[in-house]
Amino acid sequence: MSESDGLNMEKSNFESTQEFFDQWLNTYKATMGKLVEMPSVGPAREKSEKMMKGFSTFANLYAAGLDTSSNFQTVFMEAMRKVQEKTAPDMKGEISPEKYKEFYNTWIETYSETFKDFSKSGHFVSDMGKLNSCLMDFQIYNRQMLEENYLKPMNLPTKTEIDEINKELYSLKKTVKELKSQIKELKEKK
Amino acid sequence: MNGLNLIEDFDKIKYGMELFLKPPEFSVGTTPSEIIYTEDKMKLLHYIPTVEKPHQVPILIVYALVNRYYILDLQPDKSVIKKLLEEGFDVYVIDWGYPSGADRYLTLDDYVNGYINNAVDNIKERSGLDKITLLGVCQGGTFSVMYAAQHPENVQNLVTLVAPVDFDTDKGILNLWAKSLDVDKIVDFYGIVPGDFLNSGFLLLDPFRLMIDKYVGMFDRIECKPDDTTCQIRNEEYVKNFLRMEKWIFDSPDQAGETFRQFMKDCYQKNLLIKNEMKLNGTKINLKNITMPLLNVMAEFDHLVPNDSSKPLSNAVSSTDKETLVFPTGHIGIFVGSKSQKEVCPKISAWLKPRSLLNGKAEEKTASANIELPEPAKEKKIEQKRKNRRSKVNKK
Repeated sequence: MSESDGLNMEKSNFESTQEFFDQWLNTYKATMGKLVEMPSVGPAREKSEKMMKGFSTFANLYAAGLDTSSNFQTVFMEAMRKVQEKTAPDMKGEISPEKYKEFYNTWIETYSETFKDFSKSGHFVSDMGKLNSCLMDFQIYNRQMLEENYLKPMNLPTKTEIDEINKELYSLKKTVKELKSQIKELKEKK
Repeated sequence: MNGLNLIEDFDKIKYGMELFLKPPEFSVGTTPSEIIYTEDKMKLLHYIPTVEKPHQVPILIVYALVNRYYILDLQPDKSVIKKLLEEGFDVYVIDWGYPSGADRYLTLDDYVNGYINNAVDNIKERSGLDKITLLGVCQGGTFSVMYAAQHPENVQNLVTLVAPVDFDTDKGILNLWAKSLDVDKIVDFYGIVPGDFLNSGFLLLDPFRLMIDKYVGMFDRIECKPDDTTCQIRNEEYVKNFLRMEKWIFDSPDQAGETFRQFMKDCYQKNLLIKNEMKLNGTKINLKNITMPLLNVMAEFDHLVPNDSSKPLSNAVSSTDKETLVFPTGHIGIFVGSKSQKEVCPKISAWLKPRSLLNGKAEEKTASANIELPEPAKEKKIEQKRKNRRSKVNKK
């Protein structure tokens, strides 16, 4: 494919997607992001403010997800490069089942080792921490919205309410256990 | 020749698929036991002794909250519990069960000073003894260390198996990952932290081996000798054992949120235990309170609990009678690998036997001197209790 056809596959890698997304995110934060974080007014103020926050929660998750995908993509490419380097000389000539097994072994070993090295890196650790944190924020937000906008109006029990009951139950059980233990001690003293 | 190899490979897949279409029945944790105490989801199991007169001090095995205790009794020919029974020990194990929403507020203190302490009290009462041997495995080993430090008067011997105590190491991937986790958000969202969430983390440690190569390897080990009954039995046995392990790996109970929160933050993130700064219900855990004999067992190639995380225990305690054993195996291999039955269990037994006697009397010494000592009244009472229990179990 020539450049005159309008396509240049060599330049179309994942990094450009990442760069585009970073630019988009910066633009979003400077424009729409500011708009959605604007204080709400009027009777539906509380609800609309909470709902607007969902946009930034999702944008953060999406950004963290893209960062992680981008890094995984790079690791996969690196692993594939190593596999190619190791197997290229042996793949010349007739391909036999033995060669296929060797290829499989090299592939699994190289991918496994490359990924293990990557998973020990500070890059991976901070990425996973960030992704997990954004995912939890997003899930917590979704649950709040579900509770406030669907479950409560339908007069259905919410997770928050069930947790309150569980906490009370835990506390009561603990008290009963302590009292039982005290009764046992007193009985033994008698 | 090449063609033959190809046919053999296809045959392996074919035989493997045939075996999976008619899966062999398998079971786990088959060593006979009775439930002697329950509290909430926790059960205390007592294994039926296989010798007439077990060693006097019973063993309580404390397993981790992650996965299930039956890895120690996965298959009859690879059972740590069965081996300990055969070696003449009286064995108990805590089954933590499967926590549900109602258990989300259970704390580390509830596990250590509640459940473990009540299990110990129960065994003390049944055996008529003041102290027992505590054998803690993995996270259960960390719990056992905490318990032994807070209740040294109840522990005759402490055995830790692949147990982490010093979490500030970069040798383990879990140690690295845990530092960046926002534990509060995880617990606040889930409440009860799903076992699958933790399992996905374990799979990420080596995804290509654990999600692809393991299954390819399984088919690769299938033998293809048509009309060979011995070979078919071998295949079936292999698949059974594979399925047993597969069941154990993915049988992951959810975690009580508050316990997970404290364990991750105080141990993995702040490393308070080894610094004697960790608290349970406001009381500091001082590892120097551990004065009883200590056996610290590790697996050289442990990818989950690196040796650097277990070794420091020996220097952190006050025990004078202490020993460290390192076996050339992995975190799971130490329970089910070939070395487990041949080396690990016999060495633990050999260490425990002379320390599992009342008043420090050495059974072996007495036996070798061929002198019959008069049994103290206390021992007779204990023996009578055991006989009564055995007859009750037999009646059941």
